[in-house]
Amino acid sequence: MLRVTSNMMNAQLMLNLNRNARNMNDTQLQLATGRKINKPSDDPVGITYSLRYRADLSANEQYQENVDDATSWLEFNDTVLTQAGSIVQRLRELSVQGASGTNPQQALDSINSEVKQLKEQLIDIANSQFKGKYIFNGQQYTEQPYQFSTGADGTLDSSGASSVITDDGLLNYTVGESVQLPINVTGNQVFGGSESDNIFAIIDSISAALASGNTGAVSSQIANLDTRNDKMLAIQADIGAKSNRIELMSNRLSDLEVNLTDLQSKTEDGDYAELLTQSKTQENIYNASLSVGAKIIQSSLVDFIR
Amino acid sequence: MTSTFHSIETARRSLFTQTAALNTTGHNIANANTEGYTRQRVNMTASIPIEAYGLSNSTVPGQMGTGVEFGSIDRIRETFLDDQYRGENSSLGAWTIQSDTLDKLEAIFQEPSDTGLSTVLDNFWKSWSDLSKNPEDSTSRKIVVQTTESLADALNYMSRQLDNLDTDLASNIAVKGTEVQGYLSSIADLNSSIFKIESMGDKANDLRDQRDMLTDKLSKIANISVVQGQYGYNISLGSQALVQGAAVSATVDSAFLNSAFSSGDLKSGEVFGMISSSQTYLADYKKQLNNIANTIATGDMDVTLPKGSVLPEGTVLTSDATITKADGSTATVTAGTAFPQGSTLNADVKITVKGMNGLHQLGYTLDGTLNPGKPLFTISGDGSEITAGNITFNSEIAADTNLLATSLRTSGSGTSEAVVKGNNTLALLMANQQSGSFTSPTTGIKATAGTFYKTMVGQLGIQSQEATRQTENSNYLVEQVNARRQSVSGVSLDEEMSNMLVFQRAYSAAARFMTTYDEMLDKLINSTGTVGR
Repeated sequence: MLRVTSNMMNAQLMLNLNRNARNMNDTQLQLATGRKINKPSDDPVGITYSLRYRADLSANEQYQENVDDATSWLEFNDTVLTQAGSIVQRLRELSVQGASGTNPQQALDSINSEVKQLKEQLIDIANSQFKGKYIFNGQQYTEQPYQFSTGADGTLDSSGASSVITDDGLLNYTVGESVQLPINVTGNQVFGGSESDNIFAIIDSISAALASGNTGAVSSQIANLDTRNDKMLAIQADIGAKSNRIELMSNRLSDLEVNLTDLQSKTEDGDYAELLTQSKTQENIYNASLSVGAKIIQSSLVDFIR
Repeated sequence: MTSTFHSIETARRSLFTQTAALNTTGHNIANANTEGYTRQRVNMTASIPIEAYGLSNSTVPGQMGTGVEFGSIDRIRETFLDDQYRGENSSLGAWTIQSDTLDKLEAIFQEPSDTGLSTVLDNFWKSWSDLSKNPEDSTSRKIVVQTTESLADALNYMSRQLDNLDTDLASNIAVKGTEVQGYLSSIADLNSSIFKIESMGDKANDLRDQRDMLTDKLSKIANISVVQGQYGYNISLGSQALVQGAAVSATVDSAFLNSAFSSGDLKSGEVFGMISSSQTYLADYKKQLNNIANTIATGDMDVTLPKGSVLPEGTVLTSDATITKADGSTATVTAGTAFPQGSTLNADVKITVKGMNGLHQLGYTLDGTLNPGKPLFTISGDGSEITAGNITFNSEIAADTNLLATSLRTSGSGTSEAVVKGNNTLALLMANQQSGSFTSPTTGIKATAGTFYKTMVGQLGIQSQEATRQTENSNYLVEQVNARRQSVSGVSLDEEMSNMLVFQRAYSAAARFMTTYDEMLDKLINSTGTVGR
């Protein structure tokens, strides 16, 4: 038969108390941090998932930032193109007006002065900056694309505007894993390069024709204005399409974020209801072992012998 | 024929013996809580009867008893349990240390957290992606500098922590060596004392307890084997003798312990735990961490350079590429030959570069020159290979953020050729390496940087979990065996109390017997033959 000595009981009690206390401590750590994985050994498989979700979430966050930046670029482009479009519209109206043979030269001159103003305005637009970048100069965005010297009369000598060649480099933004999207359009695409419908060349012709009273030459530029307008509208439509695509991308990224956060939470987070129940149970067990312990230690034959 | 005073002698012996038993009971009670104490028992025997056979044999029938005496005071102990205890204790020692080391490693790696290497790595990639949106912007460049420095710092810090842990273990091994040496000389001294005392026929119970206790302590440190020899305990570690009777036959220091580990004599115990922690776990994690650092910096990776890229003069590609030269003619640059200045790639080309360092050297910097980028990471101090301990962010780039290469394009030709600052091709390629695979130069394994790290942390988790479980098991077994030992050898106060009553009563009865006999003699001596007085 096993002899039981008081020291054995003490040792056993200590062992059990210690074990119960450790369990309690574990549960309390989980409660305090709200996480069931506090170190790799808590769940070695879980931790590898957890690290992956964290990396994916971090990348996702970056893609979302990139998407936001791309969106504001595209929106700005759209606004600028709308402004340019309305100028082209006004130019067309003026051309139609100027093409009529009934205007006296004085009227043509005043039309011409508005046309000249519109050109300046268009050059301003072509030099638009977004966050310090010239949006119509491709990758050379640090340089102003339509840059002219001031003439003798103190105004800009913009006669060379039609021969400006803008940079055709694309600005690519990463908006998803291995998804790159060019977000810019170049000045030559919008305002025309060496084609006959270069907007500045058109304006120069109209202006010259108006000055010389050649209404026929004014009229002949209307067709060019129309093709340029069509091209600008097509670019704007393209930007719209890109915006849509980006918006879809953005939705996908937010969905992915929700999914990843959910997965991360399932892997890392503790279940409070379960943890609290566990903690209460462990506390009761601990208290019970303490009170039993107190009773065991008290009594021995010594207490009963006089 | 018995003597007149025979029974007085019998009573005296009884009184003496019961006193000895009571004394032993007192000794047991006094040592109820003494570590390593074994309960003792007075071995009582009836003393030799006076009648021996022979010619002078009396005619009185029966042998007359002469009372009680004690032959010895014995320790109640089972050697088998001692052996078992020492074996389990060694395992416990080894696992406790290993689990402790792994715990510390987990603290060093600090995962999952917002400060561990994985977060630092994620931030590194993010900063490159940010830079790709504003390659000319000095703020974005500063951020890349910061995150790259943090990455190098984190690796340095972890490597240093691993080294410190290793140093701690090494000095602990030396301390344990000294402790073992102390135990060995005490055991040898005890061997000689016990031998001397026991040659006289006594039992050196308390000294034996001490020797057993020291042996128990020794067993936690190393896997010793104990053989009871002619001159006491002979203790050895595998094939190495440590104590032979009164002589200590080994000088135990860290050199001795390390060679015992490599010869296979040292298989278990705390010292085994320390040496194997250092040589197995720490060495392995240091290697893996070095591998991560070296792989990110210089491991082979495949990248696709997009059509239209302009590479710095003299760049050597690993694949053939068709190009348009500065003068407009097309040509093919074969793998291994230098790239002519101002040439543009005609088509996408897939090449292999040596890690982030190699990739960074493909691009143009923004410092106004047409020089290619410098290696992103360099070695601080000595060394031919990048490790977690010596990896540093190139100090030249840290001092001038314009030296971060982001562009793969120039404009103009001849002397007016200049880098296009807004080109972000290289920055994009750098950022995309978050999901790109690196091939480790040492192991040849191909994976993303994050995967290398994840695998390591997962492995650490499994090892630590296993060590914790083994420690708990061993602890349970040791307690179990110890309980059985206590069951045999421990002092039970209840038992001692009842024994005390028994011996006390026996003593009283013997005293009463002496009084009774005294009264008989009184009758005989003082009251006999007084008729007529």
